This record gives sequence, C-alpha cells and structure tokens, in this order.
Amino acid sequence: MAACGALEDGAVIMFINYEHNTHVYNVTVERRDNKFFITYDNNEYTVNAIEVKPGQLSIQLGDRAIKSVISEGEDSKFVFIDGSIFKVKRIELTGRKKTEKKEGDLNSPISGTVVTTKVKQGGQVKKDDVILVIEAMKMEYLIRAPYDGKIKKVYFKEKDQIEIGQLTAEIEKEEE
Amino acid sequence: MFKKVMIANRGEIAVRIIKACQEMGIKTVAVYSEVDRHSPHVQIADESINLGDPAPSESYLNIAKIIESARNVSAEAIHPGYGFLAENPDFAKACADSGIKFIGPTPEVIRLMGDKIEAKKTIASAHVPVIPGYPGVKQDLSTLIKEGKKIGFPLLVKATAGGGGKGMRVVHTEAELEQSIESAKRESKSAFGNDSVFLEQYIDKPRHIEFQILADEHGHVIHLFERECSIQRRHQKIIEETPSPVITPKLREVMGKAAVAAAEAVGYTNAGTIEFMVDSKQNFYFMEMNTRLQVEHPITEATTGVDLVKWQLRIASGMELTIEQTSLFQRGHALECRIYAEDPSNGFLPSIGTLEKVELPIGPNIRNDTGVETQFHVSSYYDPMLAKLTVNSENREESINKMIWALSHYVVLGVTTNISFLKKVLEHPEFRKGNITTHFINDYFKDWLVTKEGLPLDAIIALAVYDSLHPQRQEIVRYKEADPHSPWQHVGRWRMGR
Repeated sequence: MAACGALEDGAVIMFINYEHNTHVYNVTVERRDNKFFITYDNNEYTVNAIEVKPGQLSIQLGDRAIKSVISEGEDSKFVFIDGSIFKVKRIELTGRKKTEKKEGDLNSPISGTVVTTKVKQGGQVKKDDVILVIEAMKMEYLIRAPYDGKIKKVYFKEKDQIEIGQLTAEIEKEEE
Repeated sequence: MFKKVMIANRGEIAVRIIKACQEMGIKTVAVYSEVDRHSPHVQIADESINLGDPAPSESYLNIAKIIESARNVSAEAIHPGYGFLAENPDFAKACADSGIKFIGPTPEVIRLMGDKIEAKKTIASAHVPVIPGYPGVKQDLSTLIKEGKKIGFPLLVKATAGGGGKGMRVVHTEAELEQSIESAKRESKSAFGNDSVFLEQYIDKPRHIEFQILADEHGHVIHLFERECSIQRRHQKIIEETPSPVITPKLREVMGKAAVAAAEAVGYTNAGTIEFMVDSKQNFYFMEMNTRLQVEHPITEATTGVDLVKWQLRIASGMELTIEQTSLFQRGHALECRIYAEDPSNGFLPSIGTLEKVELPIGPNIRNDTGVETQFHVSSYYDPMLAKLTVNSENREESINKMIWALSHYVVLGVTTNISFLKKVLEHPEFRKGNITTHFINDYFKDWLVTKEGLPLDAIIALAVYDSLHPQRQEIVRYKEADPHSPWQHVGRWRMGR
C-alpha cells in the first residue's frame, strides 16, 4: 500500500512498494502536471508522461521514449515493455512478508486433476520418488519427493480436483 | 461447392477456416462450449451451436452431439481444424454415415496413418526411409522393457495414437524406462483414449522437417515444399520456418518426391503433412503423417501464395487440383511463432486468467491468426495456445528481424505469455546462423529464466507514472501520515527472505 499526500503547491507524492518475483522495489513518485519525479535505488528520474489512452503510456526520459501498456488484473498489474510482460503486485510493508519457500515444494504447480497417487500414508519415499501425478491441459506434472522420508499425509486421491498452490502431501524428513 | 460448412473446432483455427469460407461465399456454422460462448469464432460465424459442458469429451470431442447439430442445421460438410476430432477416424466415418462430407482424407486413411506402426510399415513399402524401432505389437510392460533394452538408449516412447508431444517420453537410461512407459501410457490414455505405445531409436541432432501435401480425389498429388519445425519445447513446436536453412535444392527435390510417394502409397486425399527427421548428415527418415491441416500452415501460404484451407474446401467438394508441381515456387522466407498463455518464469506452466488487453502488431507482411480478444477468459479446459504470429520477408535474416519487431509490439495483458522467451530464441546467435535441432531449447535455454534480471527500470518508471495517475481511494491519506523518512524509501531493490 502506498502512502500519498498533497504537497503545499498541489503536487502529489507517493511511496510505493512493488513486488515482482520475490523482489521488492521501493519507489517514490511525485507528480506535477505531466512531469513526474521518480526516485528509485537512490537515483532520481525526471520524466514527462501522458496516458495516450487507458493504460497506454508515452513516457519521455531524457532523449529516450518509453512505451508501455499497463492493465490491472484482480490483485496485480501487468506491465508491457518492449515485448516483455511483468506481473507486479503492490504491497504494504509492515514488517517482513512471508513468501518463504520451504525446502522441497510439495505444493501443486497447477490446477488440474490428480491422475494417480504413488504413495500411501506411512510409506517410505526416497528423494525424487513420484508422489503424485497431476494432469492439466492434457499434460502431466509430477510431484516428486524433495528428500528421503516417511509420508505423513497425502491430501489427494485419484480423480480429485487440485488447485494451484495446494499442498499435495506432507513428508517427515528422515534424520541423517 | 458447399453452401454450408460446420467448423468443429474453436480458437484461432476455427476463425481462420470461417474466414476462408466467407470469402468463398459459404455459410458457416460454429460450435462452442459454455466457456467459449463469447469467443471470436462464435461471433464471426453465420450460425452457432452450443455444445454445453466445457469438458472436451462433452463438447468439441463429442461426435454424436456434433453430427446431430450438423444435421439439424443442414451443414453439407464439417471442417475439423486440427486437434480435437481432426484425426479421429470414427468421426470421419460418422460424418460419411450421416451423409456429411468430412473435410480431410477418408476414415480408412486416417485410421491407417493414426496407427503409427502400420503407417511406418506402409510408408516403408513405398521405399521411403523410416526410423528403426519396436512397433509395440505386444503392449505388456515386460515386453516393452525387453524391446527397449534391445534398441538401446536413448530411445523414444511414443503414443501409437499420439501427436503434438502428448504421450511421448525420451528415455536416457534403463532405470527410467519403466516409469516413462507407464507415464506415456497414462497420458496417451487420457489424451487419445488409447494407451498403446511404441519404441523408436533416438536420432542424434535431429531436425524436424515436414512437407506439405495437397491431393485431390482424382489422383493428383503435389507437395508445397518444406517447413522446418525444429524449435520445440517439450516436443511442442513453438517456432516454424520455411524454407529450412539446411535443405539444399537437391535434397528438397528428393524429399518432396518421397513425400508425394508416401501420400500416393496410402491413397491420400485433401491436405496433409509428411513429417521427416533429418540427421546431421542429411539422412532423412519418415516420422509420421498428419492427416489434417497443420497449425503452422500459414508459413507455406506466405511463401507459395496458395491458400491451403480454400483448397481443402475445393478438394472436399470434388474439384480437381489445378496447381501443377512445376508451377510452384518458394518466394522469400516466412517464420511463425506460437503465442502461448504460459509462464516462462514458472516452468512454462499454463497461465490462466482474463485478457485485460490484446493489441496485435500490424505492418507489412505480418499475419495474425488469433481466436482471442480483450476480455477473453483463458481457461484450463483447452490448449493454452492463444494465437499465431507469421511474418514473411525476402530472406531469413529479415524475417527474424521483422518477427522480433512484431513480438516487441505484441500486447497481451492479463496472463503471462511466452513472448519474451520467443524473442530470446530468435535473438540467439545459433538460431540466427540456422544451427538448430529439436534439442535447441534444451541445449541453450534449459535454465533460462525471464526474471533473472528482475524488473527493468523502464517498467518501474511506467508503473510509478501509472499509479501516480491512478491513485486508489484508500491510498489518499493525509500527507503528514506519510513518512518521507521511511527506511523503505531509498533502499531500492531488495530480496524477500528466503
């Protein structure tokens, strides 16, 4: 979330944090009509910019023109720059946000249907053993054991629908 | 010529076929599932029929429903496009039984070519070289493992009914064999309803080069030269071009003749493609025949000037092919890129969402085939290919440059796409030199990550400008509450706890 307010002469200043793939970018922007003063990473950039049509920006930075298209999704923005698209979230920084990935991700990478489960509760698995197979768009995705251990719980069975990010199974790591 | 044709498909290919029909004065009937209700192919067709449930088996794969719908609207012919029912002999047969012309070859030929083992045998009998392997006469695991060991590693496990990389596995060691066979069988069962697989020697440094065929119902067969489709990710073609940078005029002639011979050997009719594998010594082997229109057909159209879909319609209506082999030439060079809704920074997993903005590049010799538009919802029911981008120029280098320009101006927001990845491939020095094989992506882009460099400065500036122009209501707090001395303010980019 950004803080924002009006300066005495009518300019607006905002402090914004953008999150993109586990990195956070801290930016301040101050606007005076079509002029924007942007501070990022201890550098200040002064640009002239107009929104040509909704979401389409024409930005002049020195002798360089930046053409960008931005659209808003449900909880993030999509930024188009020179053929590349970046999905960016604005976040509020109140302490550290936890996006920690634990060793060995057992979360489903995709929404789909569980085709088979290869293990049973209480069973032993070796690193890279297939835990279960998920099918989506006619392609198969394998969830593999990240380490040797004992299956604590399998959350899905054959034919179950699974959503992206859902935990597929828990494995008790074997002590070395 | 037909008066009314049903298009039993969706997306860009349905749109492409409908447009060809409209140019020829043929009325069109689209079919759609519930989630495609507002899709472009439904909008542009003269009539449309709701097939209901979006599950493919209940809609685009439901033979009974489609045939009944076609009869209800008195469609004389059905164009199956590619995928779905395009290579299903039962569907072609059901059409014939209902007095509806199937726009493609006969059910017998589809069945024969769909059975990869029989296909190989038949083609070999026409003196066209084939790849050594085990045809999968017996399907039990122990026989397959035994035969696999005989062929040696690496080898390929392929679905007998397969195509498009589905139900296919490369096996590098004996230890992986069992798991790969089982997995290929399951994937094949779910994609094609048939779990038969066969084994094949794996050719080193192979290039995928295919020949386009047109055959009428009066015995005339011609080829429309090659398409090189070596740039593949997980056996799925992503960039195609013609002419191939390695094919010499001599080899082109020999392969073209082999392709025609293969088509003649099976009594092929309508448009089809003979896929060959070409090794580093320019030996070529028959891989399979696709008994339908190919995804990548626009590059052939761009360089030969022939409209393949219109010829499909003419041939199906009984007309004679009036193009002579000797009158065909390849003019310039064409490239196609497939635009997929997938996330290169997340293992290329399909990316689902609503397209907030779609703006396609426009310019000389740039062709867009697309079945999506702004507000289209990309669901997980169907293939994640959104569109195709085709360009043509005087030569390969210019085509590459034009394609890079077009991709740089290709705006699709709302899902992540493979566009940035495609650009990187085209910019790669080995691609530019034409040094490509089907392993290209694996060799040079295995660990490629779009996000390695993070958010570029231009994106940060654009975001800041945008957000400054569109402050959200809840952000309007009084200035004194904002802390200009916040430690967050000038630290720049940092990484979250991992």
